[in-house]
Amino acid sequence: MNTGKAFRSGLQVVASHSSLWGLFLQGDRHAFAEIYDAHIDDLFHYGMHFCQDKERVKDCLQDLFQDLWISREHLTTNIGNVRYYLISSLRRRLLRALRKDRRYQHRESWDAFEFECTLPLENQLIQHETLEEQKRLLQEALSHLSRRQREAIYLRFFQNLNYNEVADIMSMQVDSVYNTISKAIGILKKNLSLPLLLLLLGR
Amino acid sequence: MAASNYLSYTAREFAMDEDFQQWVLHPEQRNVFWESWLRQYPEKEPVISNARQLVQSIRFRDYSLSATDKEQLWDAVWNGLEEEEEATVETPALPVRKINIWRYAAAVMLGMLLTGGWWWWKTGSRQPAILSTFTRLGETRKLLLPDSSEVTLNADSRLLYAVTGSGQREVWLDGEAFFHVKHTASQQKFIVHTYDHLDVEVLGTQFNVNSTGKEIVVVLQQGSILLNIGEPGNGKAAALYLQPGEMLRYNKQDGDYAKRSVDAVNYTSWHTGRLTMNDFTLADAAVFMEQVFGKKLIVRDTQLLSYKVSGSMPIIYNADTMMTQLGKVFRMQFNQRGDEVWIHKP
Repeated sequence: MNTGKAFRSGLQVVASHSSLWGLFLQGDRHAFAEIYDAHIDDLFHYGMHFCQDKERVKDCLQDLFQDLWISREHLTTNIGNVRYYLISSLRRRLLRALRKDRRYQHRESWDAFEFECTLPLENQLIQHETLEEQKRLLQEALSHLSRRQREAIYLRFFQNLNYNEVADIMSMQVDSVYNTISKAIGILKKNLSLPLLLLLLGR
Repeated sequence: MAASNYLSYTAREFAMDEDFQQWVLHPEQRNVFWESWLRQYPEKEPVISNARQLVQSIRFRDYSLSATDKEQLWDAVWNGLEEEEEATVETPALPVRKINIWRYAAAVMLGMLLTGGWWWWKTGSRQPAILSTFTRLGETRKLLLPDSSEVTLNADSRLLYAVTGSGQREVWLDGEAFFHVKHTASQQKFIVHTYDHLDVEVLGTQFNVNSTGKEIVVVLQQGSILLNIGEPGNGKAAALYLQPGEMLRYNKQDGDYAKRSVDAVNYTSWHTGRLTMNDFTLADAAVFMEQVFGKKLIVRDTQLLSYKVSGSMPIIYNADTMMTQLGKVFRMQFNQRGDEVWIHKP
């Protein structure tokens, strides 16, 4: 019998992450399964943006969860943000794995943490060509951001880590995380704001 | 940050503000501050909506794992772990996963021998084998019987298993259990005795027996079972069959019984670690908490008992966690005093 997913669209209640964590540390396998379930999608998403190598990401995730279970007795009960902990652990593992692999050395993968530019819905009222052109300009402007900068933006906006957590994971100063994100927002603003303002006036 | 500071903010500055981002990116978490701030300064609407667009326009390419991939990855995690931990005591019951029976069967057998939860007498191959086990409040246990049938024993229950000389399989159940009985080549019967005048007789099938309350409730999920009701030799004895999706309720006190059709999953999903709640009332929750954790739920306003919810949630075998979750589901406050839990509207 397979209940679960089918019902998830309706009511879905899960324990808060910190109390699940406590149960997990005591060796509760249900809690461990819940933690896996709650984070696996986002961890995979991060891993794929990091290296676009599905098998490698899956290997690292398997190691990550195995080590998590084995070392549970040595982990802190006061975890704070489980997501932050898991992402930074996955990042270290991916880096280690990639360092061993020659193919990846000196490769600044351009599609890592690439923005998918979904322009706001309202802008679709603009003529199609204008929209395409706008998208192209935006994409080009954003491509000037470095891989590290894009990763920082990704961690804040997609993974919901706060500025401090992003800085810790990336070994950056909080200031430079802030500046990086400010730069990206600036680019977006330059490229998005004109038609947007026109629309607002027209309402 | 004081509300007034935001008055001079440009769209770009708003878009940089962590709290503002949170509000835009996670609308499911209510943010009272921004809602009331906007009410207070309606003239800021254009700037806010501009900033909102900025934050929302940051999207990333989607990558996702299929459900199968997720399951395989989870299995791979456990396979690796089982090599590390030779003596796995119970299977990791997962929210959404099938279990590789054969792999875990071996682990359960080993676990049974190690934990001593089972007692096993076997003085000679012709002698009957007898096994017995029990669960405490707040725990369940999966068992693999010598005939390869599986039993999941719910909290606070006892089970005795015997194979008689003729090869007939018999168990005595006090409490609740889900049975997955394996067909044997020689078509030996499997009989579940309760401590009342009701026996369940099967060949191979999946069903749930619950004898914890005033009634014995038998729900058939798959296959077919024969129920023997009443004292043999007494005129009132009866035998009847259940079809999949049928439920029989037997009143322990007066021996009355009735059969009807139900959605079996409501009665059996606990054995996979989920509580299925279709029109699940607070009264049902009370029965659950008492059966599994020995907690008595008490309400002053008895109307609350008929509050209903639908959906499903994982069963966490921790009374406090479970209570917190149920409290959220029913939007009620659960206040614990010893083994009593007082419920009222917040």
